[in-house]
Amino acid sequence: MTEVALHAEGLGKRFGRTWALQDCSLELPAGRIAALVGPNGAGKSTLLHLAVGLLRPDTGWARVFGRDPRHDRDALADIGFVAQDTPLYPDFTATELITMGARLNRRGWDAGIARDRLTRIGIPLDKPVGRLSGGQRAQVALALALAKRPRLLLLDEPVAALDPLARHEFMQALMGAVGEYGTTVLLSSHLLADLERVCDHLVLLHTSHVRLTGPVDELLAEHVRLIGPRLPDGAAVPGVAEVIRASHTERQSTLLVRTDGPVDESRWTVHDITLEDLVLAHLGASAGATPSEVAA
Amino acid sequence: MIWLTWRQHRRQALWTAVALAVLAAVLVPTGLSMRSSFEDSGLGACLRALGDAEFVGGEGCESLSQRFANQYGSTAFLAVLFVLLPVVAGLFLGAPLVAREVENGTHRLVWTQGISRRRWMLTKFGLVGAVALVLSVGYALGASWWLGPLAANGLGRFRYLIFDVQGVAPIGYTLFAVALGILAGTLTRRVLPAMGLSLAAFIAVRALVELLARPVFLPAKTLSYAIESPVMANRFAGSWVYQEGVRNGAGTLVLSDARVGCGPNAGADPEGTARCTAHFAQEGFGPGPYTNWQEYQPADRFWTFQAIETGLFLALTALLITLAIRRVRRIS
Repeated sequence: MTEVALHAEGLGKRFGRTWALQDCSLELPAGRIAALVGPNGAGKSTLLHLAVGLLRPDTGWARVFGRDPRHDRDALADIGFVAQDTPLYPDFTATELITMGARLNRRGWDAGIARDRLTRIGIPLDKPVGRLSGGQRAQVALALALAKRPRLLLLDEPVAALDPLARHEFMQALMGAVGEYGTTVLLSSHLLADLERVCDHLVLLHTSHVRLTGPVDELLAEHVRLIGPRLPDGAAVPGVAEVIRASHTERQSTLLVRTDGPVDESRWTVHDITLEDLVLAHLGASAGATPSEVAA
Repeated sequence: MIWLTWRQHRRQALWTAVALAVLAAVLVPTGLSMRSSFEDSGLGACLRALGDAEFVGGEGCESLSQRFANQYGSTAFLAVLFVLLPVVAGLFLGAPLVAREVENGTHRLVWTQGISRRRWMLTKFGLVGAVALVLSVGYALGASWWLGPLAANGLGRFRYLIFDVQGVAPIGYTLFAVALGILAGTLTRRVLPAMGLSLAAFIAVRALVELLARPVFLPAKTLSYAIESPVMANRFAGSWVYQEGVRNGAGTLVLSDARVGCGPNAGADPEGTARCTAHFAQEGFGPGPYTNWQEYQPADRFWTFQAIETGLFLALTALLITLAIRRVRRIS
C-alpha cells in the first residue's frame, strides 16, 4: 500500500456563519500530482491553508504524512507551500530570500537547489524581487518552496495571475522539479486547462464540498457519455450508477454517467470523455454552478 | 529569525536614527543654552536653596525666575511635541508589524517555513519591543534633561504634559503604543487603517487616564494659611496644584486661581498688613479671617504617581499583546 501524503477526514472550516469547507474527506497517495479544481470560492484556498497549518479546522482533521501540520513542526518541514499570488518580500533579493529560508528552516534546507534553478532560468539573484516580472516572482517562490525539499508541495493558484507564456514556463519548471525529486503535489486552479495535461489525480470542490476525488485514469474509465434514443423521465439505465448530467431532445438523450457495470451497447453509443467534460458535468449538475468559470 | 527581523526593519531603523539625530540637533543646543543661563543667572542656586520647602518667606527667587521664564517660557511648548513621540513609535513600529505581512500576503510565506508562529511572534514582538524600550528610555532621559530648568522654574514636573514626558511614564506610553499598533494591525490587517485606529485609541486612552484616573491615584491634600502670614506656599516646590484661591471666614471660596500675601514681607510696614486685610473686607468678600487655600498633590508624590501611571500602561501593554497573539493565531 502506498503512503498517504495528505489525509483529511470530515475536515471543515467556518468563517463566521459561512462554511468555507465542509465535511471534506480525501486521501492523496504519495507520488501523485493532484489538481484541486473548483470555481472561485469553492474552498480551495481553505483546504490548502488547513493542509499547511495556516488554519485550524473547526471539524475533522488533516494529516500530512500522518502528522498534524498545525501542531507538529516536523510536519511543516515536510510541506512546501506557494501561496496565492506568490507573496514575497518585495525589497528582498532572491539571494536574501534564500538566506531567509536557511534561517527559518534549520533542517533540510538546500540553498543550492534554489540558487541553481534560478540561475538556470536566468533570474537575477541580486535584484529586489519586487522589480521582477510576475512570472519571475512565481519562479522565485517555487524555487524557495523546493529548497525546503518538501515531500508534499502545495500550490495555491500559482499561475492565476500570469500570462500564458509565463504560465507555461512555470508549469514546465514545476513538472521538471517534481520529476526530479519525486514530490507529491497538490495544485489548485480554477483554470482546468493548466492542469489537465499534467495531473494524475483530481480533487473537485464545489460549494465547499468535495464533489469528486480520485485518480484521473480511474475517473475517466468509469465515466462515459451515452447517446441513444430518448429516455423516459425517471427511467434507470442498467450498468449506470449515477446520471451526472442529462440532456434530451425529442428523440435523443445524451447522458454523462458514472458506470458500475456493462452498458447495453446495442441501445447506447458509448463515448469516452475528457477530464474537462467530467469536471464541467459535475459542476453543472449542482445548482447554481457556473461551469464557464472552470472552463475559462 | 533575528536576521529576518533586522533585514525587514533595517530601513525603519535607519529612518528612526535619522529622525532622532535631527531631534537631538535641535534639542541639545537649546538645552545647553537654557541650562547655562539657568545656572549663570543664579536661579539654579537660588531654587536649590529653596528646596521643596512647603512655605517660603521673603522675595524667594521670583525676580530671577521671572527673567528666566520671559526668556525660555515659550520653549516649554516643545513638550507638546515630546508627548506625541510614543504614538509615533506605535504607528511606525507597531502598526505595520503584522498588518504589512497580512496586507502583502507574506505571512503565508513566513508562517509556512520551519518555525512556529509562536516563535515568529516572540522574536518580532520581542525585538521591536526592545527597540521601543531603548528609544523610550533615551527619550525619557533626554526630555527630563531638557525640561529640567523649566520644570524647576515653577512649571513643575508634576504638571500635565510635563509629567508625561519624563521619569518612567514615557516608557509605559511607548510600549503601550507599540502594543496597540500591533493589535490594531491584527484587527484591521491593513497598515493605514491600523495606524488610524491606533492613533485614535492611543489618544483616547491617554486622555482618559490623564484627565480622569491620574488625579485620583491618591487623595489630594489641602493647604491653608492666613493671608497675613509672613510666609507663602512655595510655588517652586513642584507640587501639582488642582485648585487654589482665597476663602473667607465662612469657608466660601471668594477668589479663585489667586493667592494673596498681606504678610509683613509683602506690605512694607505693619500697618500695611492691617490695611491690606481691611481692604479685603471692604471689597465685600464676607467675614474674615481670610485664608489662602490650595488643593494639591505634593511634589514628593511624583515618583509614586509615575510608578502608578507606568504600571497601568504596562499592564495594558501586556493585555494588548496577549490579545494580539490570540488574533495572530487565527489569521490564515
